[in-house]
Amino acid sequence: MTQAVAIDHHEPIENTSTGLNSRKLMMWAFLGSDVMFFGAFIATYLVYRGKSLVGPYPSEILDIPLTTLSTFVLLMSSLAMVLALHYVKDGERNKGTLWILAVVVLGAIFMGFQFYEFREFGHLGLTPRTNIFGTTFFILTGIHGAHVTIGIIWMGFMAYSSHKGALRPDNALDLEIAGLYWHFVDIVWIVIFTVIYLISANDGPPPGMESMITH
Amino acid sequence: MANLWQKLTHHKGNGWWNLPHTASNELNPPHEGPVGGAWLGNWWRFWTHGGVSHAGPKFYWLVGFILAVITALEVWAFALEGLGAWYIPILLILAVAKFIGVVAYFMHLRFDKPMFTWFFASSMVVGVLIFVALMFLMENAHTPVLF
Repeated sequence: MTQAVAIDHHEPIENTSTGLNSRKLMMWAFLGSDVMFFGAFIATYLVYRGKSLVGPYPSEILDIPLTTLSTFVLLMSSLAMVLALHYVKDGERNKGTLWILAVVVLGAIFMGFQFYEFREFGHLGLTPRTNIFGTTFFILTGIHGAHVTIGIIWMGFMAYSSHKGALRPDNALDLEIAGLYWHFVDIVWIVIFTVIYLISANDGPPPGMESMITH
Repeated sequence: MANLWQKLTHHKGNGWWNLPHTASNELNPPHEGPVGGAWLGNWWRFWTHGGVSHAGPKFYWLVGFILAVITALEVWAFALEGLGAWYIPILLILAVAKFIGVVAYFMHLRFDKPMFTWFFASSMVVGVLIFVALMFLMENAHTPVLF
Protein backbone atom coordinates (compact mmCIF):
# COMPACT_ATOMS: atom_id res chain seq x y z
CA MET A 1 0.00 0.00 0.00
CA THR A 2 1.21 3.48 -0.78
CA GLN A 3 1.91 5.45 2.35
CA ALA A 4 1.01 9.09 2.71
CA VAL A 5 4.34 10.90 2.77
CA ALA A 6 3.40 14.30 4.04
CA ILE A 7 0.43 16.47 4.70
CA ASP A 8 2.33 19.58 3.82
CA HIS A 9 3.11 18.32 0.37
CA HIS A 10 0.95 16.68 -2.23
CA GLU A 11 -0.44 13.53 -0.69
CA PRO A 12 -0.98 10.50 -2.86
CA ILE A 13 -4.42 8.99 -3.07
CA GLU A 14 -4.21 5.83 -1.02
CA ASN A 15 -4.93 2.56 -2.73
CA THR A 16 -7.99 1.92 -0.59
CA SER A 17 -11.69 2.17 -1.35
CA THR A 18 -11.94 5.42 0.62
CA GLY A 19 -8.69 6.91 -0.67
CA LEU A 20 -7.61 7.29 2.95
CA ASN A 21 -4.66 5.67 4.65
CA SER A 22 -5.97 2.73 6.66
CA ARG A 23 -3.64 3.18 9.63
CA LYS A 24 -4.47 6.87 9.95
CA LEU A 25 -8.17 6.10 9.63
CA MET A 26 -7.80 3.50 12.36
CA MET A 27 -6.27 6.10 14.69
CA TRP A 28 -9.11 8.53 13.98
CA ALA A 29 -11.60 5.71 14.67
CA PHE A 30 -9.87 5.02 17.97
CA LEU A 31 -9.92 8.72 18.87
CA GLY A 32 -13.62 8.84 17.99
CA SER A 33 -14.28 5.99 20.42
CA ASP A 34 -12.11 7.69 23.04
CA VAL A 35 -14.28 10.83 22.73
CA MET A 36 -17.24 8.72 23.86
CA PHE A 37 -15.16 7.05 26.59
CA PHE A 38 -14.11 10.37 28.13
CA GLY A 39 -17.55 11.88 27.45
CA ALA A 40 -19.09 9.24 29.73
CA PHE A 41 -16.66 9.98 32.58
CA ILE A 42 -17.01 13.75 32.27
CA ALA A 43 -20.81 13.40 32.28
CA THR A 44 -20.58 11.22 35.40
CA TYR A 45 -18.42 13.84 37.12
CA LEU A 46 -20.94 16.57 36.29
CA VAL A 47 -23.92 14.53 37.43
CA TYR A 48 -22.34 14.03 40.84
CA ARG A 49 -20.87 17.53 40.99
CA GLY A 50 -21.66 19.28 44.27
CA LYS A 51 -23.26 16.21 45.82
CA SER A 52 -20.52 15.11 48.20
CA LEU A 53 -21.73 15.03 51.78
CA VAL A 54 -18.26 14.93 53.29
CA GLY A 55 -15.15 16.97 52.50
CA PRO A 56 -12.71 17.80 51.22
CA TYR A 57 -14.63 19.76 48.61
CA PRO A 58 -13.18 21.16 45.37
CA SER A 59 -13.11 24.69 46.83
CA GLU A 60 -10.87 23.44 49.64
CA ILE A 61 -8.23 21.65 47.64
CA LEU A 62 -8.12 22.50 43.93
CA ASP A 63 -5.01 24.50 43.15
CA ILE A 64 -5.80 26.54 40.03
CA PRO A 65 -2.39 28.28 39.62
CA LEU A 66 -0.60 24.91 39.75
CA THR A 67 -3.02 23.29 37.30
CA THR A 68 -2.77 26.29 34.98
CA LEU A 69 0.96 25.69 34.85
CA SER A 70 0.53 22.00 34.06
CA THR A 71 -2.10 22.87 31.43
CA PHE A 72 0.36 25.27 29.81
CA VAL A 73 3.04 22.55 29.82
CA LEU A 74 0.72 20.07 28.08
CA LEU A 75 -0.31 22.72 25.56
CA MET A 76 3.33 23.42 24.75
CA SER A 77 3.95 19.68 24.35
CA SER A 78 1.36 19.75 21.57
CA LEU A 79 3.29 22.58 19.93
CA ALA A 80 6.51 20.56 20.28
CA MET A 81 4.74 17.58 18.70
CA VAL A 82 3.61 19.47 15.61
CA LEU A 83 7.10 21.00 15.22
CA ALA A 84 8.68 17.54 15.53
CA LEU A 85 6.44 16.21 12.77
CA HIS A 86 7.27 19.18 10.57
CA TYR A 87 11.03 18.67 10.93
CA VAL A 88 10.85 14.90 10.49
CA LYS A 89 8.90 15.42 7.27
CA ASP A 90 11.49 17.96 6.15
CA GLY A 91 14.24 15.42 6.75
CA GLU A 92 15.85 17.49 9.52
CA ARG A 93 16.65 14.53 11.74
CA ASN A 94 18.35 16.31 14.63
CA LYS A 95 15.67 18.95 15.01
CA GLY A 96 12.99 16.27 14.69
CA THR A 97 14.60 14.16 17.43
CA LEU A 98 15.02 17.19 19.66
CA TRP A 99 11.37 18.19 19.42
CA ILE A 100 10.18 14.62 20.00
CA LEU A 101 12.35 14.58 23.13
CA ALA A 102 10.77 17.89 24.12
CA VAL A 103 7.37 16.18 23.91
CA VAL A 104 8.63 13.39 26.18
CA VAL A 105 10.07 15.86 28.71
CA LEU A 106 7.00 18.12 28.74
CA GLY A 107 4.73 15.08 29.06
CA ALA A 108 6.83 13.82 31.98
CA ILE A 109 6.63 17.26 33.65
CA PHE A 110 2.86 17.19 33.26
CA MET A 111 2.74 13.76 34.89
CA GLY A 112 5.01 15.08 37.65
CA PHE A 113 2.45 17.80 38.34
CA GLN A 114 -0.33 15.22 38.42
CA PHE A 115 1.61 12.95 40.77
CA TYR A 116 2.30 15.93 43.07
CA GLU A 117 -1.36 16.94 42.96
CA PHE A 118 -2.61 13.44 43.77
CA ARG A 119 -0.11 13.20 46.64
CA GLU A 120 -1.16 16.57 48.05
CA PHE A 121 -4.82 15.60 47.81
CA GLY A 122 -4.00 12.41 49.69
CA HIS A 123 -2.34 14.45 52.44
CA LEU A 124 -5.42 16.66 52.61
CA GLY A 125 -7.63 13.62 53.04
CA LEU A 126 -9.03 13.18 49.54
CA THR A 127 -8.78 9.69 48.06
CA PRO A 128 -11.02 7.88 45.56
CA ARG A 129 -12.91 6.43 48.54
CA THR A 130 -13.38 9.65 50.55
CA ASN A 131 -16.41 11.07 48.76
CA ILE A 132 -18.15 11.12 45.40
CA PHE A 133 -16.01 14.06 44.27
CA GLY A 134 -12.86 12.06 45.00
CA THR A 135 -14.18 9.01 43.13
CA THR A 136 -15.20 10.86 39.97
CA PHE A 137 -12.19 13.20 40.04
CA PHE A 138 -9.54 10.49 40.44
CA ILE A 139 -11.12 8.17 37.87
CA LEU A 140 -11.35 10.89 35.22
CA THR A 141 -7.94 12.51 35.76
CA GLY A 142 -6.33 9.12 36.43
CA ILE A 143 -7.54 7.69 33.11
CA HIS A 144 -6.28 10.82 31.39
CA GLY A 145 -2.95 10.41 33.16
CA ALA A 146 -2.77 6.80 31.95
CA HIS A 147 -3.29 8.06 28.40
CA VAL A 148 -0.47 10.60 28.84
CA THR A 149 1.82 7.89 30.24
CA ILE A 150 1.18 5.65 27.22
CA GLY A 151 1.86 8.66 25.00
CA ILE A 152 5.18 9.37 26.74
CA ILE A 153 6.32 5.76 26.23
CA TRP A 154 5.22 5.89 22.59
CA MET A 155 7.07 9.18 22.06
CA GLY A 156 10.14 7.69 23.75
CA PHE A 157 10.20 4.96 21.10
CA MET A 158 9.69 7.60 18.40
CA ALA A 159 12.61 9.67 19.73
CA TYR A 160 14.86 6.60 19.73
CA SER A 161 13.69 5.72 16.24
CA SER A 162 14.39 9.24 14.99
CA HIS A 163 17.79 9.32 16.68
CA LYS A 164 18.76 6.06 14.97
CA GLY A 165 17.62 7.40 11.61
CA ALA A 166 14.76 4.94 11.31
CA LEU A 167 12.18 7.73 11.28
CA ARG A 168 12.45 9.44 7.92
CA PRO A 169 10.29 11.67 5.71
CA ASP A 170 8.99 8.61 3.84
CA ASN A 171 7.67 6.95 7.00
CA ALA A 172 6.80 10.11 8.95
CA LEU A 173 3.25 8.77 9.05
CA ASP A 174 4.35 6.70 12.06
CA LEU A 175 5.04 9.92 13.95
CA GLU A 176 1.94 11.60 12.56
CA ILE A 177 -0.27 8.83 13.96
CA ALA A 178 1.47 9.01 17.35
CA GLY A 179 1.03 12.79 17.17
CA LEU A 180 -2.73 12.49 16.62
CA TYR A 181 -2.90 10.47 19.83
CA TRP A 182 -0.81 13.05 21.70
CA HIS A 183 -2.88 16.02 20.52
CA PHE A 184 -6.05 14.16 21.48
CA VAL A 185 -4.75 13.78 25.02
CA ASP A 186 -4.22 17.54 24.99
CA ILE A 187 -7.76 18.35 23.82
CA VAL A 188 -9.23 16.06 26.48
CA TRP A 189 -7.26 18.02 29.07
CA ILE A 190 -8.62 21.29 27.64
CA VAL A 191 -12.10 20.03 28.53
CA ILE A 192 -11.04 18.62 31.93
CA PHE A 193 -9.27 21.85 32.90
CA THR A 194 -12.38 23.87 32.09
CA VAL A 195 -15.01 21.56 33.56
CA ILE A 196 -13.27 19.97 36.54
CA TYR A 197 -11.00 22.79 37.59
CA LEU A 198 -12.22 26.23 36.48
CA ILE A 199 -15.97 25.59 36.64
CA SER A 200 -15.91 23.43 39.77
CA ALA A 201 -13.20 25.27 41.70
CA ASN A 202 -15.66 27.05 43.99
CA ASP A 203 -17.85 24.03 44.70
CA GLY A 204 -18.51 23.41 48.36
CA PRO A 205 -21.09 21.29 50.20
CA PRO A 206 -24.55 20.83 48.60
CA PRO A 207 -26.69 23.99 49.03
CA GLY A 208 -28.66 24.07 52.25
CA MET A 209 -26.69 21.25 53.84
CA GLU A 210 -23.65 23.15 55.03
CA SER A 211 -24.73 23.09 58.66
CA MET A 212 -25.45 19.34 58.63
CA ILE A 213 -22.14 18.32 57.19
CA THR A 214 -19.06 17.30 59.06
CA HIS A 215 -15.59 17.30 57.59
CA MET B 1 -19.17 38.99 4.21
CA ALA B 2 -20.28 35.91 2.28
CA ASN B 3 -17.06 36.11 0.30
CA LEU B 4 -14.98 36.16 3.49
CA TRP B 5 -16.90 33.20 4.78
CA GLN B 6 -16.10 31.32 1.56
CA LYS B 7 -12.42 32.12 1.97
CA LEU B 8 -12.37 31.01 5.57
CA THR B 9 -14.19 27.76 5.16
CA HIS B 10 -13.51 26.55 1.65
CA HIS B 11 -10.79 24.33 0.42
CA LYS B 12 -9.82 25.37 -3.11
CA GLY B 13 -13.30 25.24 -4.49
CA ASN B 14 -14.16 22.07 -2.63
CA GLY B 15 -15.83 23.14 0.58
CA TRP B 16 -13.88 22.11 3.62
CA TRP B 17 -17.14 21.01 5.16
CA ASN B 18 -18.40 19.26 2.03
CA LEU B 19 -18.38 15.51 2.15
CA PRO B 20 -16.09 14.42 -0.70
CA HIS B 21 -17.72 12.25 -3.33
CA THR B 22 -14.67 10.53 -4.69
CA ALA B 23 -11.10 9.95 -3.59
CA SER B 24 -9.88 12.35 -6.26
CA ASN B 25 -11.45 15.46 -4.73
CA GLU B 26 -9.98 14.66 -1.35
CA LEU B 27 -6.59 15.80 -2.53
CA ASN B 28 -4.91 18.38 -0.42
CA PRO B 29 -4.26 21.61 -2.34
CA PRO B 30 -0.54 22.22 -1.89
CA HIS B 31 -0.47 26.01 -2.16
CA GLU B 32 -3.35 27.04 0.01
CA GLY B 33 -2.94 28.97 3.24
CA PRO B 34 -4.43 27.69 6.48
CA VAL B 35 -7.46 29.97 6.30
CA GLY B 36 -8.20 30.23 2.60
CA GLY B 37 -6.99 31.91 -0.55
CA ALA B 38 -6.71 35.50 -1.88
CA TRP B 39 -5.31 38.26 0.35
CA LEU B 40 -5.90 36.36 3.55
CA GLY B 41 -4.15 33.31 2.14
CA ASN B 42 -1.26 35.46 1.00
CA TRP B 43 -0.87 36.95 4.44
CA TRP B 44 -0.90 33.52 6.00
CA ARG B 45 1.58 32.29 3.41
CA PHE B 46 4.06 34.62 5.07
CA TRP B 47 3.90 32.25 7.99
CA THR B 48 4.52 29.19 5.85
CA HIS B 49 7.44 27.96 3.84
CA GLY B 50 7.03 30.33 0.93
CA GLY B 51 3.80 28.71 -0.15
CA VAL B 52 5.14 25.20 -0.53
CA SER B 53 3.39 24.00 2.58
CA HIS B 54 0.28 24.81 4.50
CA ALA B 55 1.99 25.76 7.65
CA GLY B 56 5.53 26.08 8.90
CA PRO B 57 7.11 26.44 12.33
CA LYS B 58 6.28 30.17 12.54
CA PHE B 59 2.63 29.43 12.02
CA TYR B 60 2.64 26.66 14.63
CA TRP B 61 4.36 28.98 17.13
CA LEU B 62 1.67 31.56 16.42
CA VAL B 63 -1.09 29.02 17.05
CA GLY B 64 0.69 27.89 20.24
CA PHE B 65 0.92 31.51 21.40
CA ILE B 66 -2.78 32.10 20.72
CA LEU B 67 -3.69 28.93 22.66
CA ALA B 68 -1.55 30.10 25.57
CA VAL B 69 -3.26 33.51 25.52
CA ILE B 70 -6.68 31.83 25.57
CA THR B 71 -5.57 29.76 28.59
CA ALA B 72 -4.49 32.98 30.30
CA LEU B 73 -7.91 34.50 29.52
CA GLU B 74 -9.61 31.47 31.09
CA VAL B 75 -7.66 31.88 34.31
CA TRP B 76 -8.26 35.63 34.23
CA ALA B 77 -12.02 34.95 33.96
CA PHE B 78 -11.67 32.61 36.95
CA ALA B 79 -9.83 35.23 38.99
CA LEU B 80 -12.25 38.00 38.05
CA GLU B 81 -15.11 36.56 40.15
CA GLY B 82 -17.57 39.10 38.81
CA LEU B 83 -18.85 37.47 35.66
CA GLY B 84 -21.88 35.87 37.31
CA ALA B 85 -24.01 33.93 34.85
CA TRP B 86 -21.56 34.73 32.07
CA TYR B 87 -18.74 32.81 33.73
CA ILE B 88 -19.55 29.29 32.46
CA PRO B 89 -20.56 30.32 28.90
CA ILE B 90 -17.36 32.37 28.55
CA LEU B 91 -15.22 29.47 29.78
CA LEU B 92 -16.96 27.05 27.42
CA ILE B 93 -16.48 29.38 24.43
CA LEU B 94 -12.76 29.75 25.26
CA ALA B 95 -12.40 25.96 25.68
CA VAL B 96 -14.11 25.35 22.32
CA ALA B 97 -11.75 27.89 20.68
CA LYS B 98 -8.73 26.02 22.09
CA PHE B 99 -10.20 22.68 21.11
CA ILE B 100 -10.72 23.83 17.51
CA GLY B 101 -7.25 25.40 17.39
CA VAL B 102 -5.58 22.11 18.33
CA VAL B 103 -7.80 19.89 16.19
CA ALA B 104 -7.75 22.09 13.09
CA TYR B 105 -4.09 23.11 13.05
CA PHE B 106 -2.03 20.82 15.30
CA MET B 107 -3.95 17.70 14.26
CA HIS B 108 -3.96 19.05 10.70
CA LEU B 109 -7.65 18.53 10.05
CA ARG B 110 -7.80 21.91 8.33
CA PHE B 111 -5.20 20.73 5.82
CA ASP B 112 -6.04 17.07 5.63
CA LYS B 113 -8.56 15.16 3.58
CA PRO B 114 -12.06 16.34 4.54
CA MET B 115 -13.20 12.78 5.19
CA PHE B 116 -11.13 12.79 8.42
CA THR B 117 -12.92 15.95 9.58
CA TRP B 118 -16.26 14.28 8.92
CA PHE B 119 -15.14 11.18 10.70
CA PHE B 120 -14.04 13.01 13.84
CA ALA B 121 -16.95 15.48 13.79
CA SER B 122 -19.47 12.63 13.62
CA SER B 123 -17.71 10.95 16.57
CA MET B 124 -17.97 14.23 18.47
CA VAL B 125 -21.70 14.45 17.72
CA VAL B 126 -22.27 10.91 19.03
CA GLY B 127 -19.97 11.62 22.00
CA VAL B 128 -21.92 14.77 22.91
CA LEU B 129 -25.22 12.89 22.53
CA ILE B 130 -23.97 10.21 24.95
CA PHE B 131 -22.86 12.99 27.29
CA VAL B 132 -26.26 14.73 27.19
CA ALA B 133 -28.17 11.44 27.45
CA LEU B 134 -26.17 10.41 30.51
CA MET B 135 -26.73 13.79 32.14
CA PHE B 136 -30.50 13.57 31.64
CA LEU B 137 -30.67 9.92 32.59
CA MET B 138 -28.72 10.23 35.81
CA GLU B 139 -30.17 13.59 36.86
CA ASN B 140 -33.74 12.36 36.42
CA ALA B 141 -33.05 9.04 38.12
CA HIS B 142 -32.43 10.92 41.41
CA THR B 143 -29.31 8.88 41.93
CA PRO B 144 -28.66 8.66 45.66
CA VAL B 145 -25.47 10.14 47.01
CA LEU B 146 -23.63 7.28 48.60
CA PHE B 147 -20.98 9.12 50.54
